[in-house]
Amino acid sequence: MTRIAIEDLAFRYPGAPSDTLSSLQLEICSGEAHALLGASGAGKTTLLNLLSGLLRPSSGRILFDGKDVSNLAPKLRNIAQVFQFPVLYDAMNVANNLAFPLRNFGFAPSDIESRVARIADELDLRSALDRKVSGLSLFEKQLVSVGKALIRPNVDVVLLDEPLTAVEPHRKWQLRQSLKRVQVDLGVTMIYVTHDQTEALTFADRVSVLTVDGILQTATPEAIYAEPSFEAVGSFVGSPGMDFVNVAGLSRVPSNLDASQKLGLRPEWVELCVPGDGMTAGVCDDIVVLGTAFGERVGIATVTTPAGTINVRTSGDVALGTQLGIRFKRAAVYRDTALVGSHEF
Amino acid sequence: MRSVSRWALVAYCIYLILPIYWLVTMAFSSNADIVGDFEVIPSSPTLANFAEIFSNPVWYEAFANSLSFVVLNTLISLFVAIPAAFAFSRYRFLGDRQLFFWLLTNRMAPPAVFLLPFFQLYSAVGLFDTPIAVALAHCLFTVPLSVWILEGFMSGVSTELDEMARIDGHSFGFFFFRIFLPVNRGAIGVTLFFCFMFSWVELLLARTLTGSDTKPIVVVMTRTVSASGLDWGVLAAAGVLTVLPGILIVWFVRKHLVKGFALGRVT
Amino acid sequence: MSFSRPYDNRAWLGVLPVLLLVAFSGVIPLMTVVNYSVQDILDFNSRYFVGLDWYRETLGDPRFLDAFIRQLGFSATILAIEIPLGLLVARGMPRPSTNRGLTTSLLLVLLAIPLLIPWNVVGTIWQIYARSDIGLLGVFVNALGISYNYASDPLHAWITLVAMDVWHWTSLVALLAFAGLTAINPAYYQAAELDGANAWQTFRYVELPKLKGVLIIAVLLRLMDSFMIYTEPFVLTGGGPGNATTFLSQYLTTMAVGQFDLGPAAAFSVIYFLFILLFCWLFYSSVVQKADA
Repeated sequence: MTRIAIEDLAFRYPGAPSDTLSSLQLEICSGEAHALLGASGAGKTTLLNLLSGLLRPSSGRILFDGKDVSNLAPKLRNIAQVFQFPVLYDAMNVANNLAFPLRNFGFAPSDIESRVARIADELDLRSALDRKVSGLSLFEKQLVSVGKALIRPNVDVVLLDEPLTAVEPHRKWQLRQSLKRVQVDLGVTMIYVTHDQTEALTFADRVSVLTVDGILQTATPEAIYAEPSFEAVGSFVGSPGMDFVNVAGLSRVPSNLDASQKLGLRPEWVELCVPGDGMTAGVCDDIVVLGTAFGERVGIATVTTPAGTINVRTSGDVALGTQLGIRFKRAAVYRDTALVGSHEF
Repeated sequence: MRSVSRWALVAYCIYLILPIYWLVTMAFSSNADIVGDFEVIPSSPTLANFAEIFSNPVWYEAFANSLSFVVLNTLISLFVAIPAAFAFSRYRFLGDRQLFFWLLTNRMAPPAVFLLPFFQLYSAVGLFDTPIAVALAHCLFTVPLSVWILEGFMSGVSTELDEMARIDGHSFGFFFFRIFLPVNRGAIGVTLFFCFMFSWVELLLARTLTGSDTKPIVVVMTRTVSASGLDWGVLAAAGVLTVLPGILIVWFVRKHLVKGFALGRVT
Repeated sequence: MSFSRPYDNRAWLGVLPVLLLVAFSGVIPLMTVVNYSVQDILDFNSRYFVGLDWYRETLGDPRFLDAFIRQLGFSATILAIEIPLGLLVARGMPRPSTNRGLTTSLLLVLLAIPLLIPWNVVGTIWQIYARSDIGLLGVFVNALGISYNYASDPLHAWITLVAMDVWHWTSLVALLAFAGLTAINPAYYQAAELDGANAWQTFRYVELPKLKGVLIIAVLLRLMDSFMIYTEPFVLTGGGPGNATTFLSQYLTTMAVGQFDLGPAAAFSVIYFLFILLFCWLFYSSVVQKADA
């Protein structure tokens, strides 16, 4: 498998007033499951197309295992791609779809047969091998698309462009699981582009958060969640996103924090208490019940305080409009939108 | 293989252009020059043929006659095809697939078959030698294709549009005329092109159902005879002029033309 | 279909105008023809029911059979040329993207021109164009050493007719195929390239399956229309030399208009229509069923 390096990459569409991507740096390890997470318009598809060779960079380099592929045609880059919708050969059955790339690259028929069987097993497609592709459901078709992308054993990297988009909603989790399992089993370097944080955080070994300002952070899902490098990352990741409160607005300020800083809070890092006991207090504006866990009701209470709006995870019954205190357990500390550290209370 | 296709395109374009070029040279040549010595580029071009057409009332009346039944045909075709296409694209109903294919079978009857009954039918209802007779007769050929084209387009327009209009409280009439039809502008343009493509150029029925009052341009062209035999020059000039409206229509609907040709409903 | 359609028989209201119109301009005249086809009509007042006599006579008429065979040969020839050629031309067209828009538009107009010329003008153009003394094509071919004369040599007449029809109608196939090609999502081409497919494989496994719908329409339309062809060959060769290029429509028109023999003409008409229907149905059901299997 292959190590991918992106050095100082920039791209501007012809006729566009500014760069879509500029000064991008990224290193992806061999065999890594890497997610490119970003909102629409952030440039993820552009980056994917640069990696696949559909687009050529305006400046900078892309290296596969140290080899400069920046201006190499797609078919010479030894990659595979899974698209937003199943892209298959309608006239062929599943087995022939899977075998097609192997035949074109000159693999021996016996090798082809065993490889097709292996991939079909991995993806639970054994029973479908003889079926015509046109008769499959969208989920099954996308599964075959993934199989076709993985079929060549020596492929350098597999690019996935929001692969769950066309799949039926109740099957998305199943495809996600299959993808993760097969990535681990085969040790393939995969780059997964998505705007959905659940997909990114559950699939990837490491996630890169991409915005119009570039790659803000590349880290493990845990780090992205708990220690977002920038406020923008914090508010993008998590449901709800991270809340930011001004230290200056707190009723009680710990000694090692100063008024120019902000604290980033996640709902499970804070808890409700009696007004006066906590770091700050405010009125409960909204309650969202998420469900139950271990027999207890779980919800998120939105509290407006002088320091800012805070979402608090709660299991108790909270009435709208009541005055509540909020105790902090931990927080991420920010100065000028950048992370400077974390704080335990 | 792409280059084979490219060469085929280039060769075919040349193949297309040559007779068109020949037509144009004939239009700008006198009869004597046309049937006289062969020359690739006319040595003495003339505008006399065009002058003849623009000055002779027979020609521009014929032009107006043709235009009248083509416009009528297009209007009638659109008028009946749009609701039918809407029904086919939005609903299922008893016999819908069979009806859809049956429509096309109507186009399979050769015009020659209809010569006699049409003549009798339209004379019987007093419509002989009127533009509406030709318009209606042509409908047999233009309506089926119109329904197929419109349906193909309309199926691609998401029903979210319908639902949003309903949620906004609009009546069906408002939705249909102020929202749905404008969205399908391209489809209507392409259908217009197809109706024109048949009705403007067809000869047999146009000749049978018209007399002296409503002689269309296609008939006048077959009768262009001068003292020295067939008036090739004037005929060629008329030919050039009759192509122009079609070219205009193609140019205006060119972006939708490509989509419209992909009639989707067959399989 | 991209969305589900509810079942509602009220939709028949929308279809009603079409039905009425087609009934008036199609079904009623057709019934008239069928009516005539089983009668012997000497004049307006004396007509006798003769059953299937006219049908038997027509099917046994050697001139009818000749015209029919010529028609079959003509339709088969032009289909064999126009479908592949149209497909090839469509593949050669630049696909619309930001900077190719104008070229594509101009090519579309060029392709459309033959389709917009009145059919008798088409015949007239080729009449002169193919003349061995004063026509661009005729002079050129004779200059190559071939003594080409479509007016006197039946083979030359056939070739000229086929050449004229190819010139006239291939554009229809090309435009249909081009529309089908531009509808193919670029991802399919990308995937095929990454799968290591060469140009031929891309054509066979990506383009051809996706063009099935438009090609069916193209074949149906050309099959029907070539079977009904009248004006262009009539103007170019008048059916000659002799009977060499007299196809079904011309024969029928001569019978119906010239000779006023309504009964046999009507029977001929019905047979004519049924054959077209038969061929179209055979083609359609064989291709569509294959898709369903």
